[in-house]
Amino acid sequence: MRLGCCFGGATLHTLKLVALPSSSCPPPSRFVLTSIAPLLRSPRAALRFSPVARALSSAPAVQPAAPSSSKDATKTNSDGQLAKPQWNALIDFKWIRDNKDAVATNIRNRNSNADLELVLELYAKMLDLQKEVERLRKERNAVANKMKGKLEPSERQKLIEEGKNLKEGLVTLEEDLLKLTEELQQEAQCIPNMTHPDVPIGDEDCSTIRTTVGSPREFSFPIKDHLQLGKELDLFDFDAGGKVSGSKFYYLKNEAVMLEMALTNWTVFEVIKRGFTPLTTPEIVRSSVVEKCGFQPRGENTQVYSIESSDQCLIGTAEIPVGGIHMDSILADSQLPLKYVAFSHCFRTEAGAAGAAAKGLYRVHQFSKVEMFVLCRPEESDSYHEELIRIEEELFSSLGLHFKILDMATADLGAPAYRKFDVEAWMPGLGRYGEISSASNCTDYQSRRLGIRYRPSEAPPSTTPKKGKGNVPTQFVHTLNATACAIPRMIVCILENYQQEDGSVVIPDPLRPFMGGLERITPKSQ
Amino acid sequence: MKGKLEPSERQKLIEEGKNLKEGLVTLEEDLLKLTEELQQEAQCIPNMTHPDVPIGDEDCSTIRTTVGSPREFSFPIKDHLQLGKELDLFDFDAGGKVSGSKFYYLKNEAVMLEMALTNWTVFEVIKRGFTPLTTPEIVRSSVVEKCGFQPRGENTQVYSIESSDQCLIGTAEIPVGGIHMDSILADSQLPLKYVAFSHCFRTEAGAAGAAAKGLYRVHQFSKVEMFVLCRPEESDSYHEELIRIEEELFSSLGLHFKILDMATADLGAPAYRKFDVEAWMPGLGRYGEISSASNCTDYQSRRLGIRYRPSEAPPSTTPKKGKGNVPTQFVHTLNATACAIPRMIVCILENYQQEDGSVVIPDPLRPFMGGLERITPKSQ
Repeated sequence: MRLGCCFGGATLHTLKLVALPSSSCPPPSRFVLTSIAPLLRSPRAALRFSPVARALSSAPAVQPAAPSSSKDATKTNSDGQLAKPQWNALIDFKWIRDNKDAVATNIRNRNSNADLELVLELYAKMLDLQKEVERLRKERNAVANKMKGKLEPSERQKLIEEGKNLKEGLVTLEEDLLKLTEELQQEAQCIPNMTHPDVPIGDEDCSTIRTTVGSPREFSFPIKDHLQLGKELDLFDFDAGGKVSGSKFYYLKNEAVMLEMALTNWTVFEVIKRGFTPLTTPEIVRSSVVEKCGFQPRGENTQVYSIESSDQCLIGTAEIPVGGIHMDSILADSQLPLKYVAFSHCFRTEAGAAGAAAKGLYRVHQFSKVEMFVLCRPEESDSYHEELIRIEEELFSSLGLHFKILDMATADLGAPAYRKFDVEAWMPGLGRYGEISSASNCTDYQSRRLGIRYRPSEAPPSTTPKKGKGNVPTQFVHTLNATACAIPRMIVCILENYQQEDGSVVIPDPLRPFMGGLERITPKSQ
Repeated sequence: MKGKLEPSERQKLIEEGKNLKEGLVTLEEDLLKLTEELQQEAQCIPNMTHPDVPIGDEDCSTIRTTVGSPREFSFPIKDHLQLGKELDLFDFDAGGKVSGSKFYYLKNEAVMLEMALTNWTVFEVIKRGFTPLTTPEIVRSSVVEKCGFQPRGENTQVYSIESSDQCLIGTAEIPVGGIHMDSILADSQLPLKYVAFSHCFRTEAGAAGAAAKGLYRVHQFSKVEMFVLCRPEESDSYHEELIRIEEELFSSLGLHFKILDMATADLGAPAYRKFDVEAWMPGLGRYGEISSASNCTDYQSRRLGIRYRPSEAPPSTTPKKGKGNVPTQFVHTLNATACAIPRMIVCILENYQQEDGSVVIPDPLRPFMGGLERITPKSQ
């Protein structure tokens, strides 16, 4: 077959330079979390566990908090749940309290199990405890100061007693505070992101169609689904996959391999042209990074594969390792926006997934995906969301697909997303539309957990102007992610939509240069 | 006991039968245990060795072929890590933070270089009659073992998945070897020649030393692998074919390299004979292995249960009517690295660096990189 792909002047010279931020400052670790953060990616995933809400009592009855510096991968807390390594989400509790009605409505609209009342209660208690701790510390300091002067032995003794009591009281209170803070974190992390005002309220049926492109192709002959086409054209092997690895594993063969390479290459080049920096990523990551992105590695029915004897997991999407790149960093204003296009393999357990639509390439444990990821200033995330969905529309239109773009309703959003657009493409073999892509604006949900901030170049008008740029307070960036190409479902679309009466499949024009000019996949007997 | 018997005779027989039965049960248990122990011990026996293989340790390996010579530089050269940093091509710091040491991100032109190397290599090998595949990267641990790897040994190279009998593959050799597990192939199907692209995962437990830095030794990498199943009498010639393909590929990319016939101590249990390709890496200042081609004869196929039915019976058997009576034989399997991406990137960066800090792209890869001719520092 003819080699070579005529790309036609790719603008590779305009690849953006991306560097790690030169300064990074870890967030103040006032709180240490050692218990599990039951974050949900999708409301249809397993329900989070409901921890027992332990009312705090005063000093003697309280258990000592788990040591904050422990590096153990997992340990069990008193609920028998897995405790996780420490990290904290920099949640704005004050904002939640000041906007509790809106937050409550949002929780309800999203069918979330978050317990807002408990969060507010714990927060109030925490503030009280903090005040108490402050007060005791002041007294202890006062006592210590008094002891510096000349004192009668009896007075000194009294002060020593007092100091000792204060110290013990303080230790107990500080332990209480730590435990309370952990519990507050655990509960508060369940609170889903707020929702864009235009998002329809309700469950999946309430999602609205933003755009429709094309229309279902009319076939003049009986059509086949992708599994049958794959069999007849010798394009994949699920039987060998089942034998070697288990169900929902497969080999791609022959032209399907070239189709995967073509889809990947074409998509990456197209997105590079639009100003994104290409990446490949680790596919094994620390489980804490998975959690910070809003996934739940260790829940029941988790989508996440874990590595034995380690705190590592396999990624289900490149969103996770890309989100992790700038973890615990302060970016310069001039670095934003950061726009990445990442190619990776993705691994999903698909636990709990069932049904007819689970056959063939539609739902598999391992697949290749090209993912777009943006970090930007808060006021710009709505417009980057529009940009991402527009890029997707252009990509899928170029491939000649018929699809709808949906504004997903609140119950279908998943905790991190402020707004989510799904693309559903027509799959004639399945006889219905199937999701091929998703574009989410996560605002500051992920960045508060990953600790990604930036320093605006100008202070907001309300602050007192000071000399030196170090004094502009940092803000959390907004993050967005969008599927540029999920290879197996694109293969389903192409096979089913481009099938011909003679059993061959036509290759969409844009992909041909990446397949050595191949124009169609023909049955081997021809 | 089926005939007519006196009661006392019958009773004696019943006793005898009972004793025999108990004895049999015990012996059968012993036999099972013994068989298991025999298997366990025998599986440790390495494959036989080709008569031409030098005997001894690594130093005894002989050079079969040398292609090219080390390029002479008229300026101080950099290693791939420094080039990568200056050209913003990879990020090991972020990898360490997100995943752990020896994990990395490829960025910018390095991503395109990976895609170009992959695509070009797969196309080149397809042209030589191989069937392209992508494979599962999670496999049952039994398949890993049958290929001759040890998932659960101390210092194992294999990552295991929690709460399952599955592992991550360290090479596509494993899932490809598994495709025809427990099968009898028709003679007409042979040879089966596959070229498989996959990601590979290795713990690199126990690996240490200066050569472990940067892209030279990592936990995850992309690789294009060739795998052949053939008739026993043909495996030597397919081994020659595989190493010849590798020689052509690496020559096309303009690399300077040696092909070694690895000595016995360096073979590894499954290999009857192994050719390694070591390419000159000027930044490292030495040769580094970029490829390996092994003839595993029937070592893997006896474990994976891959046999074929020859179309003609060997002369020594009694001829019988019907082809079902030709006894099956084990196929021979071979595997060879067509392209291990990170080390190829090391080679290209270090060998093709220019005085101005740019890196020239080898000709064959340019069409796969949109025509890009060189990677230039971003400040230019």
